[in-house]
Amino acid sequence: MKASLSLDLVAALALVSCKESGSNGKLTIAVIPKGTTHLYWKSVEAGANKAAAEFGVNVTFIGPQKEDDRSQQIDLVRNQALQSDAIVLAPLDATALRDAVKDVTDKGKPVVIIDSALADSSAFITSYVATDNREGGRIGARRLAEILGGKGKVAVLRYLQGSASTDHREEGFLEEIKKFPGIEVVSAEQYAGATATQAQDTATNLLTRFAEGDGLSIQGIFCSNQTNTYGMLQALRGKNLAGKVKFVGFDCDATFLDALKKGELHGTVLQDPVNMGYLGVKSAIDKIKGTAVQPVVDTGATMVTPENMADAKVAALIKTQVQ
Amino acid sequence: MSIRSILTLLGPFLALVVVYCIFGAMKPAMFTSDVVLSVLTQTVIVATAAIGMTLIIISGGIDLSVGSIIAMASVAAATFVTKGYSPLIVFVCTIAFGAICGMINGSLTVGLRLLPFIVTLGTMQIFRGGAKVYAKGTPVNLPFDVTTYKAWMGGSGLPYGVWMMVALVLVMTLVLRLTRFGRYVFAVGSNENTATLCGVNVPKVKILVYTFGGAMAGLAAVMNMAKSSQGDPTTAMGMELDVIAAVVIGGASLSGGEGSVLGALIGALLMTTIRTGCVLNAIPTPWTEVITGAIIVVAVIIDRLRHRRAA
Amino acid sequence: MSRDPLPRLQMRGIRKTFGSTIALGRVDLEILPGEVHALVGENGAGKSTLMKVLSGAHSPDEGEMFFNGEPYRPRNPLEARARGVGMIYQELSIAPHLTVEENIVLGMEPVMGPFIDRKEMRRRALEALARFEHPDLRPDMRAGDLSVSAQQLIEIGRSLAMGCKVLVFDEPTSSLAQKDIERLFLLIDRLREQGISIIYISHFLEEVKRLASRLTVLRDGSVVGTLDVASASTDEIVSLMVGRSVEDLYPRTARTPGETILEIRKLAGASKPVSADLSLRRGEVIGIAGLVGSGRTEFLRALFGLDHVRSGEIVMAGKSGKASPRDRWRQGMGMLSENRKEEGLALNLSIADNVTLTCLERFGSAGTVSPTKQQAATQRWIDRLGIKCQGPTQKIGALSGGNQQKAAFARLLEHDVDILLLDEPTRGIDIAAKARIYEAINEAVTDPKRPRAVILISSYLPELFGTCDRIAVMSQGRLTRAVPVGNLRPEDVMRVATGKADDLPGSSS
Repeated sequence: MKASLSLDLVAALALVSCKESGSNGKLTIAVIPKGTTHLYWKSVEAGANKAAAEFGVNVTFIGPQKEDDRSQQIDLVRNQALQSDAIVLAPLDATALRDAVKDVTDKGKPVVIIDSALADSSAFITSYVATDNREGGRIGARRLAEILGGKGKVAVLRYLQGSASTDHREEGFLEEIKKFPGIEVVSAEQYAGATATQAQDTATNLLTRFAEGDGLSIQGIFCSNQTNTYGMLQALRGKNLAGKVKFVGFDCDATFLDALKKGELHGTVLQDPVNMGYLGVKSAIDKIKGTAVQPVVDTGATMVTPENMADAKVAALIKTQVQ
Repeated sequence: MSIRSILTLLGPFLALVVVYCIFGAMKPAMFTSDVVLSVLTQTVIVATAAIGMTLIIISGGIDLSVGSIIAMASVAAATFVTKGYSPLIVFVCTIAFGAICGMINGSLTVGLRLLPFIVTLGTMQIFRGGAKVYAKGTPVNLPFDVTTYKAWMGGSGLPYGVWMMVALVLVMTLVLRLTRFGRYVFAVGSNENTATLCGVNVPKVKILVYTFGGAMAGLAAVMNMAKSSQGDPTTAMGMELDVIAAVVIGGASLSGGEGSVLGALIGALLMTTIRTGCVLNAIPTPWTEVITGAIIVVAVIIDRLRHRRAA
Repeated sequence: MSRDPLPRLQMRGIRKTFGSTIALGRVDLEILPGEVHALVGENGAGKSTLMKVLSGAHSPDEGEMFFNGEPYRPRNPLEARARGVGMIYQELSIAPHLTVEENIVLGMEPVMGPFIDRKEMRRRALEALARFEHPDLRPDMRAGDLSVSAQQLIEIGRSLAMGCKVLVFDEPTSSLAQKDIERLFLLIDRLREQGISIIYISHFLEEVKRLASRLTVLRDGSVVGTLDVASASTDEIVSLMVGRSVEDLYPRTARTPGETILEIRKLAGASKPVSADLSLRRGEVIGIAGLVGSGRTEFLRALFGLDHVRSGEIVMAGKSGKASPRDRWRQGMGMLSENRKEEGLALNLSIADNVTLTCLERFGSAGTVSPTKQQAATQRWIDRLGIKCQGPTQKIGALSGGNQQKAAFARLLEHDVDILLLDEPTRGIDIAAKARIYEAINEAVTDPKRPRAVILISSYLPELFGTCDRIAVMSQGRLTRAVPVGNLRPEDVMRVATGKADDLPGSSS
């Protein structure tokens, strides 16, 4: 009740400001992320703002308070459609947001999907601008196979049920790892949970399961986003196992860089959120202006390793995600 | 301890033993010291918060904001650490910080005569939002060279946090049974009117209880920070339900006047056991949720049956 | 009234044991058509067990029952009702969201195919309601919106609609207001005239005398006598119930009023009382009479600091001014609430906790409490007041009403107060417990070392006249002078209470 009331208020205020912006003739594009707390989304915002400055449009950046509040995000989409010329959306759920998006496009406003896919939507959305998450997973699998020398037992700690982007990464990883006959996946059924502390508990329990003497019966671990990579790293450190197992994660923060340097983390897949924000807004502008837009735009994924983290290009990418 | 209160604890305790043994039969590793240690350690945060919640629930109240207090206080704790304060000051300040949050809950409930459910539903959002605003939405990481806190929730041997949890349970069991304050908490929860009639300062008792609950959440927040080496404003989301469930599994009545901290500890241990056992036995995560939920329902049914027989 | 020679209901040699406890030992009971037969006895005497056997909730170990001469052995209450024996319990079983008529036919709805036959339902409901001559009760009202007494009528209507010939009323007046009680009595009279047999269970001998033609006294699971009400005296009934002769229910040893320890001047509460003056001396019991709602309870509550005092002065132990209940206990004043369940007792705490709650500081130092000491102190009162329980650690909610009330009274004695404020101390409890409380009151005011003082509120005039030294009457928030009982007749009190007179006759001391 309270939340929707304040949303209405936001919508009303935004309507007023929209009229003002309408008078100076600028396009307004709403960018709706999955959440606003992660640095990742702040990078998306930075990219969107970069495009806004470059092409002379207004960008409204507004996301749900919780990263699993689908209904709030649906409300946001509907409200923003009233006052914006286009919407750039990172859907929290592949299907829940579909109807809301279709309603908006039916009214003639373009919607660009970023970050995570929207199911069965290629017919009506403008473009899907994202990291190819499957490819991200494959990159991770190739890196893990490489450092394991093509043989060993590995475990995958998944993130949350129903999260499309991480599902794809995990699937991509599992697909690719099959190509290495010497590697056996011994666990891929555990989901870490929404917070880092939960992820840490699950990871600890998973490590306990594969404990063998002072070490582990597994040689490799893969995690699919920042939360579970962080939780796994803390769990490894807590059990004095960090560095004793090959570990490839996803995303980045200061702790990960530290772990890469110490040899506790052997690789992490980085997306390019700035580019995603930038290309998302650009695709929306192109659509409004009638320029041709690619239906799928890959923003790229990069494997960061202890060896390459000092390279100028990689360091610049890291900078977009770590303060 | 009277026979009746032992019987009250016997149900949850048996459940814990049975569940533990079932998982153990499927996976003998459950009985290794490593796993026992890990179950104990993973229980610390919920159990610490549950000790405070037990008093609140016995007094006839509820605190839905406990997860948010933990998040906000863990951000505060991590901030204190990054500013270079000594561990003693970090502990004291974070506990005090939690206590103030609790006092706000208690004062609003008493002063405005509002239902604690509504008050803490509100403060749950306020505290959570406050934590995010202060931390600008991102976790506050501890400096990498700070290792003082690791021994509280990890390291070799029994972490300090486990000792602390056990000590708190013992102390609070005695406080509830053997002090005037403890008896007043029960009296207020059992029948507020009677407590008033008998000259108990009901508002004071209630505010104290919520303040204590907040302080315990503050302590849980330090443990949370020690565990994950960061103060995360999104941590402990939904943990209030785990905490309340632990207290209820432990034999407390949501209508007040009944409950024990030892029961709450057993309840918290039971939930950790299920989680650990499921991972160790490669049971997919959704089933963990189903099993935990089923245990809560069974606990409540047993509680009802026990009451019916007593009546 | 033509008397059928055949009894409507016979119970012969009914025996029921629970483990080693003999709840009923070979009980015989005969109910005639069209009679009101009262069943009296102390709590635990076996009344409820006997009625549970009759309604099929319990099956007897031995014995047989006949209904209209035919063997009768119901397996459950529904079957009993179908055979013609309906129960009206203290706790009503009404579905508050259904209408009156839906409640009346609940469980035996007339149907046409898969649908409820609403016409037939209405007809049956109206037929049942017609017996009540209660024009305000219409079949389409929502049961939850009605008063307790009207809900009771629904419950009675349900049994009548089923064609019951025997109705069992278990303490039906305990939750009713005075005027509804009168109404219920008229209804019972009318049902009897219609040939329905009624078994009436009550603690109140006055009610029994008003309604019943015969009464059966149960004690310790056996019938100790069946009497004609018209020829039995109250003392005779009471002595049968408690198993000893009761010379006087209200003990009264020589009382000598001492110094004044409480002065109340022009006390006014939030809305009631409007004005009250009273001075209380050691060694006396002052009774406050008055109708329910006249402001008696509010007077005590304001006095005790539970309710707001608008104006006036209360001088106690030389001090006046604002006081909380906590202050009052410290000053030596204690109050027994009229509402045992909602205010008087913390039902899921132990007897010891309830008795010692006001003075925990005496049971340990530095904020601690020793349960052993609490229990020892409580055990003394359990022995002295004869509280039937398993021990001081038993939950007080598990005790009978009378024993709960004794424990609530023990709280005042344990705190050792000088002034006891007692609001309806004997309401809804059995006669033996009443007698014990009257004794305790008398002991308190005649203690040779330190005589206490008592203010007693009661709606039952014989109790006031039996226990008190002086009586004042509250009427519409105004309290009269307190007049010695020797100078008063019950009619004088009633006249003032009902507003037909302004003041009591006689001098005030």
